[in-house]
Amino acid sequence: MRKIKNTSIKMGIITGVAMLFTVALTLSLEGCKQKKQASDKLQVVSTVGMIHDIVLNIGKSHVDAISLMGPGVDPHLYKASEGDTRRLANADLILYNGLHLEARMADIIQQMSSRTHVVAVSKDIPKDLLRTPPEFDGFADPHIWFDVTLWIKVAKTIEETLVNLDPSHKDDYRKNAAEYIKSLEALHQEVSTKAASLPQEKRILVTAHDAFGYFGKQYGFKVVGLQGISTQAEAGAKDVQLLADMIVKQKITAIFIESAVPKRHIQAVQEAVIAKGWQVKIGGELFADAMGSAGTPEGTYIGMIRHNITTITEALK
Amino acid sequence: MTAPIVLSVKDISLAYKENPVLWDIDMDVPEGILLAIVGPNGAGKTSLIKAILGLETPAAGRVELFGQPYQKVRKRVGYVPQRGSVDWDFPTTVLDVVMMGRYGHLGWFKRPGNTEKQIAISALEKLGMADFVDRQIGELSGGQQQRVFLARALAQDADLYIMDEPFVGVDAATEKAIVVLLKELRKNKKTVIVVHHDLQTLEEYFDWVMLMNVRKIAYGPVKEVLTTENLKIAYGGRSALKAKGI
Amino acid sequence: MNIVIDYTIWIMMIGTAVLGCVSGALGSFAVLRKQSLLGDAISHAALPGIGIAFLITQSKSANILLLGAFTAGLIGSILVMLIVKNTVIKEDSALGIILSVFFGIGLVILTMIQKMPNASQSGLTTFLFGSAATILKDDIQTMAIIGAIAIIILMMFWKQFKLISFDPHFAATQSIPVKKMEILLTILMVAAIVIGLQTVGVVLMSAMVIAPAASARQWTNRLGKMVIISALFGAVSGIVGVAISASYPKVPTGPIIVIVMSVIVVISLMLGSAQGLLWEKVRKK
Repeated sequence: MRKIKNTSIKMGIITGVAMLFTVALTLSLEGCKQKKQASDKLQVVSTVGMIHDIVLNIGKSHVDAISLMGPGVDPHLYKASEGDTRRLANADLILYNGLHLEARMADIIQQMSSRTHVVAVSKDIPKDLLRTPPEFDGFADPHIWFDVTLWIKVAKTIEETLVNLDPSHKDDYRKNAAEYIKSLEALHQEVSTKAASLPQEKRILVTAHDAFGYFGKQYGFKVVGLQGISTQAEAGAKDVQLLADMIVKQKITAIFIESAVPKRHIQAVQEAVIAKGWQVKIGGELFADAMGSAGTPEGTYIGMIRHNITTITEALK
Repeated sequence: MTAPIVLSVKDISLAYKENPVLWDIDMDVPEGILLAIVGPNGAGKTSLIKAILGLETPAAGRVELFGQPYQKVRKRVGYVPQRGSVDWDFPTTVLDVVMMGRYGHLGWFKRPGNTEKQIAISALEKLGMADFVDRQIGELSGGQQQRVFLARALAQDADLYIMDEPFVGVDAATEKAIVVLLKELRKNKKTVIVVHHDLQTLEEYFDWVMLMNVRKIAYGPVKEVLTTENLKIAYGGRSALKAKGI
Repeated sequence: MNIVIDYTIWIMMIGTAVLGCVSGALGSFAVLRKQSLLGDAISHAALPGIGIAFLITQSKSANILLLGAFTAGLIGSILVMLIVKNTVIKEDSALGIILSVFFGIGLVILTMIQKMPNASQSGLTTFLFGSAATILKDDIQTMAIIGAIAIIILMMFWKQFKLISFDPHFAATQSIPVKKMEILLTILMVAAIVIGLQTVGVVLMSAMVIAPAASARQWTNRLGKMVIISALFGAVSGIVGVAISASYPKVPTGPIIVIVMSVIVVISLMLGSAQGLLWEKVRKK
């Protein structure tokens, strides 16, 4: 009997110590989380690169900015990692697209809004300018950056946010924003002109998913994607079939792969079209939900949009 | 009487995770006898068989069959494993199983053909199972399953047969058939070693016996080995063994 | 259902038929050797292989990724064997351990990778549940070649595989190198599973290894016939699954194939002419 009693007492002590240890550890980690980087600059974390680009152009040296998703990353599928959670927790300002673009980050964005400033950059866009395609059950299409005029509105939203959060640098923010918006307006003109150079019947854009709706609406293109608004659902056989049929019927000469969606999807469509006896080429790679590599011209918003329109018009000429 | 030694076991020891299972086993088996291996549960009888057949590697000792290591004379040794070592729901027929006894003769790529079929059928006939040729093995009774295993070994056309507890759980008719088979094998100068579980039938069925419990207790003609003294040592548990200094 | 044999459908049907045949045939041996869960463990173990292959080569080529899957699956099965041999842990626990550990590592790697450029273009996450509709002609070629090699090896060593599955001890006495043959069989199984990953995905692949074989067993008592029927069931479920998913937009193909296979399982359990429950009842009368 004595042996048994000693053993259970031993077990009890070990368990108790282990529990205390765990509690102490957790508390100390909490404490770690509270400490933020001691820095004068505003810490801004953006979800996608296009937003981050605006922050760099308006905030310039007054902000420490990072983006969670880099080139080639699909925001519809992206899940925040441990490191991301830390970065978000340490931010003074979190900027996200909204409209369900960052579909798998909804929870964590929600959580962060009680700790720090969280802004959906699409918030100031008037509802009537948003596309609500019927297949999307009343939800809005989130790919607003493809209409440069809408993206100008987003830049203004970010400008106001920075000014409110950091009034000491208000003048610089206003100056930078005015400059940047001017270059965006020039970009819009450039895109419109290039688009107009294609005859109407050639303005059909086939891509991997329905990212280019706003582009189509603003610049006069019919836009069809293999997958719908989001890349979350598997591409079905019927979808490939229907798309291939349409390409043949409308005599489309070029279809496009996207930087953040499996290349195979469009290749499968191309094979299906060729099997029907129509030659369609892959016109090039478009940047849809992510920009190009940092350091390249396509690694900025303006570069990305320019690359897209040039590639599209060249291929469909 | 100097019959050639078909199986020579020298100093075989085998341990399983530091527990000795076989210890210093010595045994010279002359040709043409029916030898029984007996001992209590856990005596290492099946392990001895496995060591002889190269299915287990002994920690020490040597085994020679027909004067050579087992690998070289595989074709001359027929093996009948315990019935329970196999899943009888496996989708195969009686004939198929018996033909497996010829695989060793076929080499890597040859398929069993008519010759193999005939050999298998005649082996089944010897065991009275000729009518069951196309039966699914799962439909057989215990005794019938045992006979199929025996037929398979027979099909090997071996010189030495090693059987693991063939008499366990079989009906009287099968038991008779097995004994008839053993006696016929002996008549043809084959040697048969059987792990046996029933002391009562030892004298009637077998010529020699190896009485063991991890160690060899006694070995030789049945009448000589089966003394009360020896049985007490073998079946009396560890204390009896210790008392005799074993 | 409008079944016009379109190019895409045709490709999908060939791909799933190949997959179904090979996994059905090899799955028969897994099921008979009571290693059904091995298929599940191997397919889940393949996931980190895909991720690591991408990390090392940055390649978007499906073949490279599948090679990674094959290597990881093989390592996983070897580890299972080692665990069973050298510890007191039994095979079912070892399979469970390898399955979850490898799969967990795989998910971690995929999360890490998603930040890298080109990761999304390689479609790594489509390996989880498969992306049957976007199978390319090249993929089919690879699948067919590997599948054919696997089946040829299976037929070459048929009697050995049969004997080691039924009675490994007796097999050893017939000069069959049992351990080596078992490893060969496992390699074939890994190959069969890797073939199916692009179509049905890591999570569902185990169903394609187990279900056709289990169903086939209900219809025959001969090994040869069982393997053939199993291959047939596998292929049929693939083809029918494709036909169904191709008739409606946005229907994922992998899961539909598995559902079709499940229906076959239920029918076989009930009505199988050799072992089915209904026949047992009739026979007892």
